[in-house]
Amino acid sequence: MLEISGVVKNFGEIEALKGVDLKIEKGEFFGLLGPNGAGKTTLLNIIIGYLIPDEGTVTINDEALVYENLEIKKLFGYVPQEIALYQDLTAVKNLEIFGALYGLQGKSLKGKIEEVLQLVQLDHRKNEKIKNFSGGMKRRLNIAASILHDPEFLLCDEPTIGVDPQSRNAIFDLLQSLNKKGKTILYTTHYMEEAERLCSKLAIIDNGKIIALGALNELLDKIDKKTTLLIDKNDLTLQKRESLKSLGEVKENDFYFEIIPSEKFSKNSLLFSELEKLQIPDKFVELKKASLEDVFFKLTGRKLRD
Amino acid sequence: MRNVLILLKKEYLRFVVDKPAVILTFLLPAVLIFIFGLIFGGNGGVQSKIPIVFVRNSDEPIAKFLESKLDSSDAIRLVKSYKKEGEKNERKIDEATAQKLVKTGKYSTALVVPADFITDTSSSIHLKMYYDPANEVEFSLIQGVIQKTIFTQLPQLFPLLFQKQIIKPLQGLKRKKFNSDIADVVSKYFGVPKEKILESMDFSKWDSKELLKGGNNTGDNFISKIIRFESKQLVGENIANPGVTRSVGGWAMMFLLFSITGAASSFFEEKQEGSLKRLLCMPVRRSQLIWAKYIFTITLGIVQLLVMFVFAWLVFGVDIFSNFGNLFIVIVASAVAAVSFGMLITSVTKSYQQANGIAMVFILVMSAVGGSWFPTFLLPGWMQTISRLTINYWSVEAFLQVLWRNAPFARIALPVLILFSTGFIVNFYALVRFRKGNIF
Ligand SMILES: Nc1ncnc2c1ncn2[C@@H]1O[C@H](COP(=O)(O)OP(=O)(O)O)[C@@H](O)[C@H]1O
Ligand SMILES: [Mg+2]
Repeated sequence: MLEISGVVKNFGEIEALKGVDLKIEKGEFFGLLGPNGAGKTTLLNIIIGYLIPDEGTVTINDEALVYENLEIKKLFGYVPQEIALYQDLTAVKNLEIFGALYGLQGKSLKGKIEEVLQLVQLDHRKNEKIKNFSGGMKRRLNIAASILHDPEFLLCDEPTIGVDPQSRNAIFDLLQSLNKKGKTILYTTHYMEEAERLCSKLAIIDNGKIIALGALNELLDKIDKKTTLLIDKNDLTLQKRESLKSLGEVKENDFYFEIIPSEKFSKNSLLFSELEKLQIPDKFVELKKASLEDVFFKLTGRKLRD
Repeated sequence: MRNVLILLKKEYLRFVVDKPAVILTFLLPAVLIFIFGLIFGGNGGVQSKIPIVFVRNSDEPIAKFLESKLDSSDAIRLVKSYKKEGEKNERKIDEATAQKLVKTGKYSTALVVPADFITDTSSSIHLKMYYDPANEVEFSLIQGVIQKTIFTQLPQLFPLLFQKQIIKPLQGLKRKKFNSDIADVVSKYFGVPKEKILESMDFSKWDSKELLKGGNNTGDNFISKIIRFESKQLVGENIANPGVTRSVGGWAMMFLLFSITGAASSFFEEKQEGSLKRLLCMPVRRSQLIWAKYIFTITLGIVQLLVMFVFAWLVFGVDIFSNFGNLFIVIVASAVAAVSFGMLITSVTKSYQQANGIAMVFILVMSAVGGSWFPTFLLPGWMQTISRLTINYWSVEAFLQVLWRNAPFARIALPVLILFSTGFIVNFYALVRFRKGNIF
């Protein structure tokens, strides 16, 4: 179990973390969702012992984390936000160095390297310099280097940045299978789709503060309506702008009218018959399920990604 | 055109925010020009006098006269006594001591006025010079000064010479007749055509530059027959390639500093690419990272210096093997000192660019002031003091002792000790800085 309590971290004037409390249970796939600059990386850096918090504590399995405690560091696998690899060395050489620093050697090191290379599907390119790898391949190797020593906790800091969809899915599958095998995963991202798809539990972080915490359903409960109606802005709907108000609260952006349907349309069938009455063709209408994006918007008044 | 202006603005903007570039562009040339200006006739300071050992074993008035003239020279300073370690009083230097002082590299030249400087039977005045051409410039400068002093004082020397045997028989003759007669005598004694002698006796035609020219080419000069210069090289006489042997250490040191600083500041690259952070998130201590970098750069420095010396041996025949043990000690000491420099720069700067910009300034200035490019005696006195604060100075000194003088360890002990202790002290400070610095 990983417990973070009252963690504060300032960089000069910048308050990166303003008192963070989190509890991550064994076996969880825990998501930390927040926009750029929210403090995700800073929090991970503190958990791993790379940064010292100004206030607060981190405990792992009820043991307090101290600076440069090498034994505790072995419990963690850390996938940094950067491709933290030696670009001018081959995949195998990279893994040999990092594996050896985790105390692996000889046959067990070799075996482990083969194993993780297969896991991230890079065994066919293992003797190539990684500067020739694609973004997705580098990302996968970045993860491979962090799981060589079979860590109990895996901390992933936005591991899918700059990755093609295919690699992204491979990474998702990999992490999910690791989680099934019992590893506790802390996963940061600013893509709500990733958080929704992967995580059993979530925390939303903004401006150095946790603003929401819980399972996906619990978070979605924070917003009143599960659906939003999007109606394409076009000549037809522009003429009917006024009458749209009968549907519920109307907001508009450059492309859409965004309508949160009022109570009486709690059933979608009622909503669609009302639209028919208004003579708005189906092709302009889209129903959007509530997402973490809406939760974030409700809580902060801002979008997750600007 | 407008786009060119916009792009031009971008160039200027990016240039001025790049502080190392600004330093390299403006400050560095200014500093180097200043140093060169001091050497080659600027007004920055008085060039200090070059010390030479002087021994006078003759009490003849001419000898005393010569000494007083050399004493008042503004280019050289006569050293006539020295203090032995442990002794209170200075003692007068004798000829044997003079030779020893030159041999061990304390002074580059000794001028001896021997007992037979001038005798009733001699046909010329006799001077002895012992020298170590460890640096050529200094040596020819000293030679020039001594000759210049003698020759410019010649008109005054002549009356004194007249009193002596050499010219006595010719006394009382008219000048033209005297010249002609002496030319006869000289041509008979030395087998030189009479016309040539007469021509060179016409003082008005003497080109002072010709006289100032270093050393031996004045040998077929008439004057050099009157003054018998007996000079003896005490050091380096068997060295195959004196020029390279003298300068290889200085250049090697400069390049070493460049490569070491590059290697040490690779911390910044590793930080940027994130691999440093990965290491720090693994069961690895910061101090272990620093030690690995430290040992790597030292071995890199040692290998680099070895390669440079082997190259000097292969291509220029510099003898690196007859004193290899000591050479290796100096190589290790120089590498240790250079690495501490690189580590210090890395620990006090914020980025790779900054580290290498600042390092460039320091390395070039240290090389110029510390003797990597030219002998430090060319610098004004106050700057020679600064020379001693550079790594280059001690390293160049030690390499010179080892390669040029084939010195035993005792004579490189001081520079080697200074290099090692600088290395360890500076590196310790760098270690402390690293813990608080920007890298980790
Ligand atoms: N080393 C640092 N020095 C100064 N400010 C920093 C440093 N690291 C992070 N910050 C600041 O702290 C805040 C949180 O950053 P970070 O944890 O990297 O956010 P995230 O990972 O969520 O994008 C940002 O405002 C960032 O600029
Ligand atoms: Mg981040």
